[in-house]
Amino acid sequence: MTIDSTTITQTTAPLRRARVLRLPRSPKVIAGLVILGVFTVVALIGRFFEPYSPNQTDTQNWVQHVLVPGTGEGTGFPANYYPLPLPPSAAHLLGTTVFAQDVWSQLLASTQATMFVGLIAAVIATVLSIIFGVTAGYIGGTTDEGLSLIANVSLAIPGLPLLIVLADYVPSAGSSLIIVAAIIAVTTWAYTARTLRAQTLSLRNRDFIEASRVSGEGRLRIIGVEILPNLIPIVAASFLFTTLSGIYAYVAISFLGLAGSPTGSPAGLWNWGEMLREGFANNAVRGGWWWWWAPPGICVALLGTGLALVNFGIDEFINPRLRTSGLSAKAARKAGAHVSTTLGLTPVTRKAADGAASTTASTPDAVLEIRGLSVDYGFGDEAVHAVSDCNLVLRRGRVLGLAGESGSGKTTLALAAIRLLRAPAVITKGQVLFHSKPFTGDGPRATIDLVAAGPHQMREVRWSEIAVVLQSSLNALNPVITIGAQFEDMLRVHRPQLDRDERHARAVELVEMVGMNGDRLRSYPHELSGGMRQRSMIAMALALEPQVMILDEPTTALDVVTQREILEELMGLRDRLGFAALFITHDLSLLVELADDIAVMYGGRLMERAPANALFRSPRLPYTHGLLHCFPPMHGKRVPMEGIPGSPPDLRDLPSGCAFHPRCKWALDRCKQEVPVLAPIPGPNREVACWLHRDGASVPPELSLPDPAETIRDRLTQVNLQ
Amino acid sequence: MTAAVPVLEGRNLTKYFWVKQGSGLFARKAPVHAVDNVSVSLEARKVTAFVGESGAGKTTVARILAEIIKPDKGTVLLDGKPVPPGRPRSYARQVQMVFQDPFASLNPVHRVRHNLERPLQIHHLAGRRSDAVVDALLARVALKPPAQFADRFPHELSGGQRQRVAIARALAVRPRVLIADEPVSMLDVSIRLGVLNLIADLRTEENLAVLYITHDIASARYLADTIVVMYAGQLVEVAPSTELTDSPAHPYTQLLLSAAPDPDRTQPPHLKDRGAPASLLAPPSGCRFHPRCPHAMDVCKRKAPPNITVGADHIAACWLHVDPAERQASENGTPATDQVVSDSQKR
Repeated sequence: MTIDSTTITQTTAPLRRARVLRLPRSPKVIAGLVILGVFTVVALIGRFFEPYSPNQTDTQNWVQHVLVPGTGEGTGFPANYYPLPLPPSAAHLLGTTVFAQDVWSQLLASTQATMFVGLIAAVIATVLSIIFGVTAGYIGGTTDEGLSLIANVSLAIPGLPLLIVLADYVPSAGSSLIIVAAIIAVTTWAYTARTLRAQTLSLRNRDFIEASRVSGEGRLRIIGVEILPNLIPIVAASFLFTTLSGIYAYVAISFLGLAGSPTGSPAGLWNWGEMLREGFANNAVRGGWWWWWAPPGICVALLGTGLALVNFGIDEFINPRLRTSGLSAKAARKAGAHVSTTLGLTPVTRKAADGAASTTASTPDAVLEIRGLSVDYGFGDEAVHAVSDCNLVLRRGRVLGLAGESGSGKTTLALAAIRLLRAPAVITKGQVLFHSKPFTGDGPRATIDLVAAGPHQMREVRWSEIAVVLQSSLNALNPVITIGAQFEDMLRVHRPQLDRDERHARAVELVEMVGMNGDRLRSYPHELSGGMRQRSMIAMALALEPQVMILDEPTTALDVVTQREILEELMGLRDRLGFAALFITHDLSLLVELADDIAVMYGGRLMERAPANALFRSPRLPYTHGLLHCFPPMHGKRVPMEGIPGSPPDLRDLPSGCAFHPRCKWALDRCKQEVPVLAPIPGPNREVACWLHRDGASVPPELSLPDPAETIRDRLTQVNLQ
Repeated sequence: MTAAVPVLEGRNLTKYFWVKQGSGLFARKAPVHAVDNVSVSLEARKVTAFVGESGAGKTTVARILAEIIKPDKGTVLLDGKPVPPGRPRSYARQVQMVFQDPFASLNPVHRVRHNLERPLQIHHLAGRRSDAVVDALLARVALKPPAQFADRFPHELSGGQRQRVAIARALAVRPRVLIADEPVSMLDVSIRLGVLNLIADLRTEENLAVLYITHDIASARYLADTIVVMYAGQLVEVAPSTELTDSPAHPYTQLLLSAAPDPDRTQPPHLKDRGAPASLLAPPSGCRFHPRCPHAMDVCKRKAPPNITVGADHIAACWLHVDPAERQASENGTPATDQVVSDSQKR
């Protein structure tokens, strides 16, 4: 037996940098970083450029002396002067205070102290929170309980009062950066510790931590090397947040006069809070001496903004969804694409929506026709062509299987057809015709192009005429109300003519149809097993008697036995109710038993379409042939099987020509250059997109087995009759 | 089975997980019977497959054998000797594990090289040659050329490539036992066989004893020498793999087989109303499968079935295979029809 080596698709691509280091480079983040940079530089070197000492006073020259009215010459009282601060001038960039001190020098000194206190407080708080949070989270048990108790107690004590008490009881606090910072840190570390503990708890049981435990890794290294790097974004975000709250806290206690006066003993430090306090205490606001109180105020606000902006960037990094929202409209404009977007519908480029083509059904029993549908993710040069030029006809009462591996575009195709995908997905081409002939009810009786349809039309069609059951549907039930209430709600909206009892009767009928007991309507979703929840979703999808069911891996998350039961029920219902089904799965062996026709997708294109039994017995496409030989048989002798070499293509970087050619053992030169299109070949209702079947190329014997005479269903019914 | 001492053996493993039931003052803790009295032995150069539905206890047994969790009862023996408690490094050197989800089992912040080097460093195996060893490991799992892969981050690799890296990491310390927990179920269909074939090759070339855990009985048949079927935390059937799939002796195995996709089937399966897997909080009395069993007799409800040898190396825990007289002797139940017994004996 040989091992196929997996090949790298891009051998020359430069290594991408670690994700940890890549911050989103939006204008917001850049502005934030610039602000932080300026403050850092000022804090570091500002003091060397102080024109004067912040404490230096010059009562002769640095204030204006104003005669107190009613004193001096001619009043009989000795002349008495009061000082007025000087407004900004060349000598005093930010003017002076009423005590004849230089505001600019004070601001430079204050920036340093304030920033350093904030920073050191954040460092202490972060170290504390990592030690407490990560240790508690990783070790768990009583250690966790003890450490969490300490954290929770510190959280429960209100921060500012504690700070005031502490600052008041430590007399030398104001003169020492470290002591003030430590006091502030003690009141802020617990928030971060809790976040980190929660994150560590979720990381602790991740497979990669378990894997390093299995490999014999020690506890400390697991915490330091495996867990901590994964927490970096969160630690960074909370570090910035703690810096900010440290600065606010320092400003607040200084403003209250608790951090010691710079001129007192022991001397406190100049900081923004102290500047504000002096200004406010000496009528700076009433006197209109804005140069005294505004600069420290603006500094607090600006630094806060800068930190918050950088934090946005980190948030976007942690949660990429924030990054893509709103991005697509901009990208579309940039790429020059005109896109019509409606909330809740997949966007369509103007070009695709305008393409008025024939709307007549190609076969009389067609119910859903997908014609030339192309779907991209993103726009312009960055667009990923997830689905290219797909044609598919779903016929009334039939099951069409859509098979493919992950990334083949099968789900994108189906969800785009009913416009369920959200931006940045966009339909760039094609038509989806729904030939509606409702069994009952008041649905539209006409042909609708879903690509061109508006929100109103889509609402009429979705669910009531075309229902969808997804793999994750079983989690789509509302957890806080009973299954019965959810049926009730839906029927009240869509079937207003029914009264309460009739609605209940219908709900019971529906759940019994999918093999559930009517009593189950009283259950909440969490009381039901996964199989039962998926059954209720199917019942709900069937409630309005849709003409089409789109089933996207409806049973993949379920156990084999449950899967088989549900599929059996579904097929029975199909025979009884007559809906058509588009069944999407990666499991070709399952489809062969289930579907009337099967379409195989690869690299975003439909590659082969045939009746199920014909596809299984005599595949024409090398990929289908390979895929069928990926399922070990249940019978006969065990023989080594090869699978398909290589791995499925990356849609961002599809091979040229036929996307399958690098993995195809029969690839021709032509396959590397030209993209084959789906075209009919001899045989019952067969189409294939493969150059081996064109222009007299010699077809390998494996791909030219004779078509079987019967369909799977014929075979199964015959056996049944016997 | 051969008389050789198994490399790794679990004897009478039992594991309960405790969950809270009810709320507030009335909350009490109830045991989930995850694994009940399961014995398993792994031999060198053999693949043993554990098959069953989710909740059957397959993964719990694997985690007990990998010493990730401790069993409540029972012992794990390596080369016939009980394993000292506390997951000693020497044990990690012998028993390695591959996890189900290759997207979760590699730390996203570390390069492939780190993942392969750490086991070597921990066990002081590589010294300064670690680059060469890493390259050799990558080549061993067919990631070629190794230099292209060693400095990549996991997110730059496809699912199949990641799983190969995970296997290479497990092989780094040259273990004697490889526990593979659903190693291919998250992978694309077309690359599964490649990974299974790799495990099959490694078994012979590295003399590995392999425990392969899966819910896909067809792949177990393809890869394994012996298949063990688990249901609700207990073993129900053990047999050489082809014998198990060709002539299953336990009704649960029969149910599993009829539920598996099989395009060659000549008859549509009929599985309606077979109920859900047993609750592990309150497992059914007697045989845990009896509420779903079409052949259930009175005795099945009252008494857990013994392990019956039904063929060479073929064991089933089912009353159907006990002689009716004996069955009556062990329990005064009225046996149901014996039709099925003769059916399965015919096969």
